[in-house]
Amino acid sequence: MCDTEVKMENYILEMKNITKTFPGVVALDNVNLSVCPGTIHALVGENGAGKSTLMKILNGVYSATSGEIYLEGTKLELKGVKDAQAAGISIIYQEFNLINTLTVAENIFLGRYNGKKTVKWNVLRDEAKKLIESLGFSFSVDTVVGRLSTAEKQLVEIAKALSLHSKVIVMDEPTSSLTEKDVDMFFPIIEKLKADGITVIYISHKLDEIYRLCDNVTVMRDGRITGNSAVKDITRDEIIELMVGRSLDMEYPARTNKPGEVVLHVEKLCRRNDLHDITFDLRRGEILGIAGLVGAGRTELAEALFGADPAESGDIILNGKKVVIRSTLDGKKNSIGLVTEDRKETGLVLPMNVTQNITITDLDKVTRNLVVRKSEEKVYAEKYVEALKVKTPSINQTMNNLSGGNQQKVALAKWLYYDADILIMDEPTRGIDVGAKFDIYCLMNELTAKGKAIIMISSELPEVLGMSDRVLVMHGGRIKGELTGEAMNAETVMKLAID
Amino acid sequence: MEKRDFKSKAKDFIFSNGILFAIILLIIITGIIEPSFFAWSNLLNVLRQISVNGIVACGMTVCIMSGCYDLSVGSIVSMTGVFTIISLNAGTPDIVCILIGLGIGLAAGIVNGTLIASINGRSGEAFIITYGMQVVLGAIALFPSKGLFISGDVHEGLFKTMGDGNMPIYIFLAVAIILQLVISKTQYGRHLCYIGNNMDAAKMSGLKVKPNRISYYAISGFLAGLGGVVLCSRVTSSNPTAGLGYEMNAIAAVVVGGNSASGGSGSIIRTVIGAVVIGIMSNALNILGISTNYQLTVKGFLIVLAVALDIISKKRKS
Repeated sequence: MCDTEVKMENYILEMKNITKTFPGVVALDNVNLSVCPGTIHALVGENGAGKSTLMKILNGVYSATSGEIYLEGTKLELKGVKDAQAAGISIIYQEFNLINTLTVAENIFLGRYNGKKTVKWNVLRDEAKKLIESLGFSFSVDTVVGRLSTAEKQLVEIAKALSLHSKVIVMDEPTSSLTEKDVDMFFPIIEKLKADGITVIYISHKLDEIYRLCDNVTVMRDGRITGNSAVKDITRDEIIELMVGRSLDMEYPARTNKPGEVVLHVEKLCRRNDLHDITFDLRRGEILGIAGLVGAGRTELAEALFGADPAESGDIILNGKKVVIRSTLDGKKNSIGLVTEDRKETGLVLPMNVTQNITITDLDKVTRNLVVRKSEEKVYAEKYVEALKVKTPSINQTMNNLSGGNQQKVALAKWLYYDADILIMDEPTRGIDVGAKFDIYCLMNELTAKGKAIIMISSELPEVLGMSDRVLVMHGGRIKGELTGEAMNAETVMKLAID
Repeated sequence: MEKRDFKSKAKDFIFSNGILFAIILLIIITGIIEPSFFAWSNLLNVLRQISVNGIVACGMTVCIMSGCYDLSVGSIVSMTGVFTIISLNAGTPDIVCILIGLGIGLAAGIVNGTLIASINGRSGEAFIITYGMQVVLGAIALFPSKGLFISGDVHEGLFKTMGDGNMPIYIFLAVAIILQLVISKTQYGRHLCYIGNNMDAAKMSGLKVKPNRISYYAISGFLAGLGGVVLCSRVTSSNPTAGLGYEMNAIAAVVVGGNSASGGSGSIIRTVIGAVVIGIMSNALNILGISTNYQLTVKGFLIVLAVALDIISKKRKS
C-alpha cells in the first residue's frame, strides 16, 4: 500500500497477527496493521472497536496474547512504555500525561535528566525551547503547564515525543477536546511532523479530519481490521460502512412506548458562565438525549438539575409544581437520580461492597429501630444484581474487583433501588463492553415503559440517535436546538454542536 | 493447593494482626519474669491509666474513619481541664462545671468541623486546620491560669466521682460500647464509611456530607472534653499543658489497634484494643525496668509498623 513499487519490508511499522484476550473477552482478533514511513495513517473505528487496545500493545502497556511487532524490520519485545520509547514509539493520549504543577521544560524532560547526578536545567530549558520553536511556537518553557490551553498542552506532548526521538507518534483523538480554532492551529503541526519524516498514527472518529490530513486509513470493528486503503481511494460512506458493519438497529433495542405528559419543565435555568437560559420539557416514559461536544455544558446541566451544583436562577417545575433544588438531597427528595459520568470518582464508593453501593441512596428502607438490617439489604442487593445481570461472585464483593460494565450497572442500580422517577444518565455506557451496553439500553427501555423519564447525556452520537425519542443539542452552555423524527440525524446534531 | 491457601490465609492473618502477636509475646515474657504483672490490681491500674487516652481515642477513631485527623484534641483536654477547675474553684455546682467542660469540647469540635467542611477540606486541609486549632486552644488554656498549675477545690460530689477509683474505666467502656454500636449498626455509621471512602460519591448519592462531617469533629471534641474532665477529676487539679501529646497517643491507639490510617472503615473495638495494648506495653516495659527513652522508641516503632502492616495487608487483599 505504500507507493506501489515499495516492497513489504519498507513498512516502518508492522503489527502482525496481534491477538489480545482479556478474561471472557477477545479484544483483538488476529489484527494486522502496516504503516508506511513518513505518512499520516488514520486508525478509525467505533468506541470499543479495539483501537486503544492495539495502541496500548504498541506502546508496551499491554502485552499481546500472541502476535509480533516489527519496527523498521526489527522485531520488538516490548515489556513496558520505556521499551517502546527507546524503540522510537510514543503515544499521546486523549487525557494528557502532563503534570500541571510543573513547567513546560520540566514536563518535556520528566524523568530524563541527562543521566547526570545533577540536573542541568539551563541545558534542558534551551533544548525544550528549541523543540517548541521547531514546532513553530514561541511560548515560554517556564510556564506552568496547568496555565496552558488544551492546544498548547497538546503541543507540549508533541515536544515530549520529539525529545524522545520518536519515529512513530500515535495520537489518540487529539482534537476531541480542541476548539475549531485550535484545530486549525494544530493541523499544520502534524503536517510539519510528516514533512520531517515522522510517521503519525492518527486515531479519530472525525472523518473530516481524516480527509484533510491522512494518507492511509485502517478501519477496525469489534477487534478486527475491516478495511485498509489509501484515503483518496475510499469514500466516506465506505468508511462508515466498514466501521459500523452490522445494521444499527441491532445495536439499539427498539423503543416501543410513546412519551406521555410533561413531568419536568425547566425554564430559563442559568448558572454563572456555564448555563444560559436552559428551557426544555421532559415527558413521562421518554428518553431525552442531550448531545454536544465536551464542555458544551451537558454535565453542568445535569448537576444543576440534581442539585450537586445548583442553578442560580430559573425554575424547575416538577409535575406542575415549582421545586427548589439546592442540594443533592433536594434532588433525591424530588425523585431525581443522577448516574454520574465518572463512576470511579463520583458514582461509586469503590472500597465498599456491591450491597452497600446499592443501598447508599436510601438506608431508611432497610433500617428498623435505628439499625441498618444487613438481611434486608441483602434482599434488595440480590434483586438488583439479578435484574441488571451484574456479574459478581457475590453481593459482598468489593466494587474495586468488578469490571467497568458491572460497576456501571451498580451505579445505575442504586437509583433503581431508590426508585427515582427522573433518571439523568451522564455517559451511561462510557468505557464498557458491547454486551453490557446492550443490557443498559434494554434496561432504559424497560424503565421508560414503566413510566420513568430518562435524560441521557452522551458523547457517542450513534447512541444518542439510536436510543433517544428526542434530542437536545447543547453548545456553550445553551440549548442550540431540539431535534425529533427525521431531523434527528448525525449531520444536524454536529452542525448545531459545533456552531 | 489446599495447603498453600492455608499458608496465604495465615500470612494475611499475621499481617493484619502482626502487632498484637508481638505484644502478646512481650506480655508473656514480662509475666514470666515478673508474675506480679498479671495481678488483677496491676491490670486495673493499667486500665485506669489508659482510660482518658481511650476516651479521646474513641473520638479520634470517628475522625480517622472519615479520612481526616483531629490534631486539636490534646489542647481541648488541657483547655477543658483548666476551665472546669476554675469554675469549680469559683463555687459553681459540680454538674454545671462538668457541662462547661463538655460544652467547651463540643464547641471546639464544632468550630473544627465547620471550618473544614465549609471549605470542603480533605485530609491535608483538616490536618492544618486542626493543627492551627491545637495551637490556638493550647494558648487559650494558658490565659486564665497564666500558664500555671491550679489545684482544685474538690469536694465529695459528682465531679469527684468522675475520676474516682474505677469510674474512668466505666466511662471509657460506656463511651466505647455506645460508639461501637453507633458505628457498626446505624445509618450514621454507614454514612461515616461512605464519606470516609469517597466524599464525592457520597454527595452524589444525596447524602448530607457537610453536617455529617461537622458532627465527626463535634464527637471528637466532645469526647476530648469528657477526657479533660475525667483527667482533672482524677488528679484533682488542672495543668494547662496536661493534654500535651494526647492527640498523638489517641492516633497511636487507633492505628496500633489495626484500624486503617487512611479511613473508610474502622471499629472502636480495635481502638480499645490499641489503647489497652499500648498501656500494657508501657506497663510491662516499666516493670522490666526499661527507661522512658526506650519506651518511647518502642512506641514510635510500633506505630510505624502498624501503618506498614495495614498497607501490606491491603495490598495482599487486592
